[in-house]
Amino acid sequence: MKLNSLYNSPLLLKIIFVVSIFVIFFISGITFKHLNTVEKSSYYVTRSYHVSLELERLISYIKDAETGQRGYIISRDSTFLVPYINSKEKIETSFNKLKELTKDNPEQLQNVDRLKFLINKRKNYLSKNIYLVEEKGIKSPEFVRNLRIGKATMDSIRIHIDEMDTIEDLLFKRRTKEFNSTIKFTPIIVYLTLLTTLVLIAFAFVKISRDLLSLKISNDKLVIADESSKMAEIVGNFGSWQFDIDEDKYIFSDNEYRLLGCEPNSFEASLENFLQYVHPEDISYVQENVGKMLENKDLPSFTYRIIRKDGQIRYIKGLGKLIIDKSGKKIILGTSNDITDEFTATQLIEDRNQELEANNKELSAFNYVASHDLQEPLRKIQTFISRIAEKEANNFSDSGKDYMNRIQIASERMRLLIDDLLQFSRTNKAEKVFEETDLNALFENAKQELSQNIEDKKATITCEELPVAKVIPFQIQQLFVNLINNSLKYSKEDTTPTINIRYEKVTSDTDNQIPSNNRNKFHKITFKDNGIGFEKEYNERIFTLFSRLHNRNEYSGTGIGLSICKKIAENHKGYIFGDGEPSVGAVFTVYLPII
Amino acid sequence: MAKEYIHIILADDDEDDRLFFTDAFNELKINTKVHTYNDGVELMNYLNHDEAILPDILFLDLNMPKKSGKECLTEIKESSKFKDIAIAIYSTSSSEEDIEDTFVCGANIYIKKPSDFNVLKKVLSEVVTVNWQYHTSGLNKDNFLLRM
Repeated sequence: MKLNSLYNSPLLLKIIFVVSIFVIFFISGITFKHLNTVEKSSYYVTRSYHVSLELERLISYIKDAETGQRGYIISRDSTFLVPYINSKEKIETSFNKLKELTKDNPEQLQNVDRLKFLINKRKNYLSKNIYLVEEKGIKSPEFVRNLRIGKATMDSIRIHIDEMDTIEDLLFKRRTKEFNSTIKFTPIIVYLTLLTTLVLIAFAFVKISRDLLSLKISNDKLVIADESSKMAEIVGNFGSWQFDIDEDKYIFSDNEYRLLGCEPNSFEASLENFLQYVHPEDISYVQENVGKMLENKDLPSFTYRIIRKDGQIRYIKGLGKLIIDKSGKKIILGTSNDITDEFTATQLIEDRNQELEANNKELSAFNYVASHDLQEPLRKIQTFISRIAEKEANNFSDSGKDYMNRIQIASERMRLLIDDLLQFSRTNKAEKVFEETDLNALFENAKQELSQNIEDKKATITCEELPVAKVIPFQIQQLFVNLINNSLKYSKEDTTPTINIRYEKVTSDTDNQIPSNNRNKFHKITFKDNGIGFEKEYNERIFTLFSRLHNRNEYSGTGIGLSICKKIAENHKGYIFGDGEPSVGAVFTVYLPII
Repeated sequence: MAKEYIHIILADDDEDDRLFFTDAFNELKINTKVHTYNDGVELMNYLNHDEAILPDILFLDLNMPKKSGKECLTEIKESSKFKDIAIAIYSTSSSEEDIEDTFVCGANIYIKKPSDFNVLKKVLSEVVTVNWQYHTSGLNKDNFLLRM
């Protein structure tokens, strides 16, 4: 990971560059030093050769002198003396050369001095030879002795020169060896230098070309992103702008201009120029928000109106955010979104909603008032009827009594209807206050409310332990009352009504009646009776308002009770289902979400 | 001084209801004196009169013009002079809200106006013959609403 990130960092190239420079410097140093050594070695080799050569010459000069002298002694011809006389000068030159060549070798220098001494000595004997020949004659013992000593000296010279040759030869060999060994490494070093440099350059090249490639790819992507953002702005009906805080400069996107109904870049991007298009009533609002933006370095979302170049009024939602780039430059990036369509659509929906709500309220208020206010005259009619029926019974004919009876029944039914309607509208209207309530207590209250009815029908009601739940208490009690009442009402004439109430906790996974997209946990309360039941096809219809399955003469329902139950279940975001089987009974299942 | 009759007052704006009320007591064989008032203002004017004879039981309709039954109830329960009067709410409505409110305000019993004259007689006789001392001491919401 770390290596990878190093490979991708621009630092690597710098490192390669610095290393390359160092390596090249280092290698040039080594090469320079190496070439120096080669040059020195070759110089020493040549010099050893020169020394040997000079020594050879020296000895040949002496030999020349000796040979010349010998010729003169034999022939007495002075022309033989020319090489002898010339040799003096040549020997001198030769010595100088030797001295020059061996100046940095003290041993050889000493040898040269010694040689010079020997040669001088030999020269002395030579000149003494000529003198002795001329004075004492060729047969004189002095001459012979001098000749012998001269020969001995010549021998020492030879030996000495041999020694010097040997030394020089050794030196020559050593230097040749050195030279060879250095010259052998030279190509390797040069080759290595080249190789290293090549590798580094190749590596750098690969890296650079790869960087260039990724740069190109990024660049292409950037171009595409830029294009697509421009497209998005057009499609999404929004424009964007940048504000450079330090330089106090704005940049507007092409579509920002188009939002104002202008051609891109048709005017200089600035706040003043932009404000010319803002609706006069909103200018101060926009300015205030821009002021806040400069203060807080952030522009909260706000909506204002603009008047486009063609005079159209549009709603714009503005939003800005401070962005600090890597170089520390502070830029506020903002968008302007034309939300006119949305705005008008929302406005329309809101208006409709309000209308609907008002209508709904009016309707339920009407329902309530109607049912509530109808109660009073009806009650009076009923009371008067009861009075007439009692006081005037004797004055009626038989048919009059029958009519009276029918009026009583009809008005009683009307009372039932009004009561139930009132209940239904209350279920709709009442404030929905959820409280933690013990459902057992609500059940007991319901039973209490129906006690007379239960007693009359001699019904048995069994109930499992119910939970404590967060519900609208009086509504749940109403639900219990209505369901029990329903079972009692539609019981079979010849059988004792029994109602079994069961309870369990379920989820949509364990119970298939709950829609599977509802992930809540539910209290499931089941009411099962042994009444007359109903056909399965009516399972859903029984819950619709005023829907009845029986003739009024048979059973005295209003068709509202179960609608109220459904309403209550819905108020609790729960469900109610009915399942009937003719002459066996009905099962009502209530699901209340656990909250 | 022991009274030989029960003093009853009804405040109700509805003429028919006042008629049923007095008729019912006339037919009941209980020694009562019934006075009726047409609204809350009339009632409170009478009660606040220095020489007023305070009723044993006061029946209050809730929905009355000028001053509602609930306002009367609150005023009466706030006054030390009247606070011992037994108060029966006598209303067409039987909404949870009304029952709850009047119970909290200190009414003693809640009667929903019946739609049968005989039931009305039965209810009124029941209410009048209740031992109020006993009833008020055992105040609870379960038997607040009179069921018939």
